[in-house]
Amino acid sequence: MVDVSRVQKELTECNRDSAISGVSIALHDGGSSISHLTGTIAGPQDTPYEGGTFRIDIRLPGGYPFEPPKMQFITKVWHPNISSQNGAICLDILKDQWSPALTLKTALLSLQALLSTPAPDDPQDAVVAQQYLRDKSTFLNTARYWTEAFAKSDSTGMEEKVQKLVEMGFPEDMVRSALLSVNGDENMALEKLCSS
Amino acid sequence: MKVKVLQWHAVASWTWDAQDETCGICRMAFDGCCPDCKFPGDDCTLIWGACNHAFHLHCILKWVNSQTSIPLCPMCRREWQFKG
Repeated sequence: MVDVSRVQKELTECNRDSAISGVSIALHDGGSSISHLTGTIAGPQDTPYEGGTFRIDIRLPGGYPFEPPKMQFITKVWHPNISSQNGAICLDILKDQWSPALTLKTALLSLQALLSTPAPDDPQDAVVAQQYLRDKSTFLNTARYWTEAFAKSDSTGMEEKVQKLVEMGFPEDMVRSALLSVNGDENMALEKLCSS
Repeated sequence: MKVKVLQWHAVASWTWDAQDETCGICRMAFDGCCPDCKFPGDDCTLIWGACNHAFHLHCILKWVNSQTSIPLCPMCRREWQFKG
């Protein structure tokens, strides 16, 4: 059985200073199960994830806190240690380095730290890791684009905007970089594309 | 003057002599008890490791018994040994 009183304490404690820490936890989809939660992480500054809000699916196994919580990114993210396909995370404290003295908050803070310091030598996504090691600038651009496209609430409809501009006859890669440079503003991107 | 004590009503308070106030495993107060117990004190004692970290006995036993390899202290990750 999940230690309910501990989890409740953790939720209160974590959300008390979420404005400063940048991490918060809520029941999954406003549901009623204490063992299915959703965490959010603010993308760290000076990284390609800056400005994004990343959602994490959290499932607590029956043995929690003696077993680690199961965490997975819901928000798509381009990072060597996070699967670009399904959001699976490669982080030791979520596996064999878990300790019951850790909490959901410290685990989310560790994920935030992981976003700041990728470990490409121990990858979860080999394609992303290869790109990180061989072509850092493309990596940074892709990671930034994914943050823009998937981790910003005002970026909903990004793919529609891309499609619309492509249909006007502009090449897709130019459309994407134009949209990115103007923070997804369709009209400004169009202006940029026309003047280039 | 001679005073004769007829009745004596002593009240004592107790507290565990630990550095932290709460158990790092269940997050309950040391002076309270672990989630499985109802009464603090002798029924739900504290135990110290060789590293000087304290936990509710029931909590650290659950952790030690759940580990397949050598159990580590949840706080400092040193090998867990009960303080002799």
